[in-house]
Amino acid sequence: MATTATSVGRFGPAVRRQGAVVRRNRRTGLLFVLPGLLAMVALVVYPLGYGVLISFFKTNLVNQWTWIGLDNYANALQNPAFVKSLGTTVVFAVGTVAGTLLIGMALALLLNQEFRGRTFFRVVLILPWVLPEVVVALLWRWMYNPLYGIVSYYGSTLGLGTEWLEHAGSAKVAVILTSVWKGFPLVMVLLLAGLQGIGKELYEAAAMDGAGAIRSFRHVTLPGLAPVLLITLILESVWWFKHFTIVWLLTGGGPVDSTKVVSISIYQTAFENFQWGRSAAMAVVVFVICLVASAVYRRLIRDEQ
Amino acid sequence: MFRKTLAAVLALATTTTLTACGGGGSGAADDGTITLKVMSATVVEKPEGDVERGFADAFMKENPNIKVEFIGTPMNDIYARLTTMATGGDLPDVFTNSPEFSTQASSLGIVEPLDDLLGADYVNGFEKVPLDQARLDGKLQFAPFFTIPTGLLYRKDLFDKAGLQPPKTWDEFRTDAKKLTVDTNDDDVPDRYGFAMVGSNNGSGGSRFIPIMRTFGTQELRKEGDSWATGFDTPEAVSAFQLYGDLVNVDKVVPPGPFQTSYAEAVALMASDKAAMMVTGPHSIGAITAQSPQLEGKLAGAPLPSAPGHETASVLGMLGFSISNQSKHKDAAAKYLQFVLSKQNQLAWNAKTGRLPVRSDAAADPQVQRPELKGFVEAQKYAFQLPQAPFYPRLQVIAAEGYQSVISQKASAQQAAADAAKKTQTEIDQAG
Repeated sequence: MATTATSVGRFGPAVRRQGAVVRRNRRTGLLFVLPGLLAMVALVVYPLGYGVLISFFKTNLVNQWTWIGLDNYANALQNPAFVKSLGTTVVFAVGTVAGTLLIGMALALLLNQEFRGRTFFRVVLILPWVLPEVVVALLWRWMYNPLYGIVSYYGSTLGLGTEWLEHAGSAKVAVILTSVWKGFPLVMVLLLAGLQGIGKELYEAAAMDGAGAIRSFRHVTLPGLAPVLLITLILESVWWFKHFTIVWLLTGGGPVDSTKVVSISIYQTAFENFQWGRSAAMAVVVFVICLVASAVYRRLIRDEQ
Repeated sequence: MFRKTLAAVLALATTTTLTACGGGGSGAADDGTITLKVMSATVVEKPEGDVERGFADAFMKENPNIKVEFIGTPMNDIYARLTTMATGGDLPDVFTNSPEFSTQASSLGIVEPLDDLLGADYVNGFEKVPLDQARLDGKLQFAPFFTIPTGLLYRKDLFDKAGLQPPKTWDEFRTDAKKLTVDTNDDDVPDRYGFAMVGSNNGSGGSRFIPIMRTFGTQELRKEGDSWATGFDTPEAVSAFQLYGDLVNVDKVVPPGPFQTSYAEAVALMASDKAAMMVTGPHSIGAITAQSPQLEGKLAGAPLPSAPGHETASVLGMLGFSISNQSKHKDAAAKYLQFVLSKQNQLAWNAKTGRLPVRSDAAADPQVQRPELKGFVEAQKYAFQLPQAPFYPRLQVIAAEGYQSVISQKASAQQAAADAAKKTQTEIDQAG
């Protein structure tokens, strides 16, 4: 005890100085982090918290705030239209993600080869991703137009009909097709980056072992791409699950409600029916679904690693 | 020293940011100039926008201390945007309002009743029907700006050529539409159709179907005691849904893709000579001739046809302007409204856009009785008062979903009507 007291007495000023430096560094660090933290609270935490809060009220957001507990959640989950729109969203998201992954992968494999004009094709194929969603939707809507649209024209010559957005089945295909067109470049770029990270020696070794193109793809490319593929899958799934713009502008959720994805239900509940509490509850349900899906994917990635 | 400087920089940055984020609405500049923010749905349309901006320019010339700043918002987005602005306490001084939205606007508490601001004498100068529809619980929610009573817009030249008169019944309408659906280049595909149906599943389509349903003798919503009741489940409503289905699937008088046809597309079909009739108001005359000047004088209006034994019906399609109760310049805003609604401006507005005046002095002017508008003026006499229920806009979408299910043959007219009635009842129950 005495020794300790002596040591402290001897080294006291130095330790205190060191402590002060650590505290100052912490404060400086905090100051550096603070703007980002504040921005995150303002842009992410506050809106999210506010959305959750609203979901417990019957409110017009201005002068009516009636606490109704979990009623909005009960109403949403018992509402057949909302449940149906969740199902429609799953079909839309699965179709779009599968399409973007297939096309993105095929083009990434192609662009990973050496050939003349590769840079040109890389630039051209990225264009749909650069275009704003509104432009993409209006462009395709024009192409689907039964009177003068190019898709309708070739659709009719191939016996596929002209009124793509007029029937439940073809309207679903049409919105997925448009979304795949918009979404494949991002997948392509991500997978191309992943492909370029796979060492050539692995392919050489596989070739020496007698593996053909398909077996090389299965045993070298796919395992090498797995982490990128899973991250892409998470990003794409969450993105398309909550997608709104293209579907809304192409079909408005119709015919009837055949393409009414959950984001359209939420939008209409909030901005057409002004039922803010209920729409917030629906949004929270979607948020939880996305959260669970991303947790499952993360778990898959961890297992893979 | 460093910390003090950092603190000062942060404080300055915070203050600057807050200053930039705050505010909104209108204010007075140092030189005493007032800025009036006017959120308008018509200012983004053609030819309406040019005329409305012209009014504002003339007003500013007459009142150099008042600056009018427009916030143009398409009609489909304006109510959502207004509600969002109301939640942020950042309302414009003047904003577009209508009988469909006035209940919601009133429940948000954002409207300044105009009776006192405009004065009783001035208020009495409005036409009675628009004035009644602009009131809620006896208070004037907005100053009516114009009406666009729903009727049948038709190509008079094509009717004359085919020896047709505007149809009085839906059976006549179907016959006429078939006659007007023609293949002009012998490729066995019609190039011009009888009827440009607005078949989109939104308020634009639904708001046209509802008066049609009324011409069959039933109401989408009516007051019953303290509550509401719907007529969607009546045989009359079934007939209306059936009419839509038959026009597309049996008579084939509607251009392909009716679900993609909203108001703008229907106008384009009329302007490009691909359709001979549409259900709309007189404003479409201006919109069509703006796209195709050669159609000037070839368009006319008529009241909607009706089912035998029933009267025609019409929706006023009225828009007006409210003054925000948060506005700091209510008097200046009232002055602007009175300027816009002067007889001279009402007639100029009517001449350019075809929209009907709401001030009695202008409405009585012979200009408004010109041949192409006559049918719409007649239709206006049969305009019904929109039910003042906060969920009313939802019924338009319910109606639209109903006719889409019949047209796409997903449901029979009976099923569609029953489904619409069920959805409407849910809305009634939820509203309490």
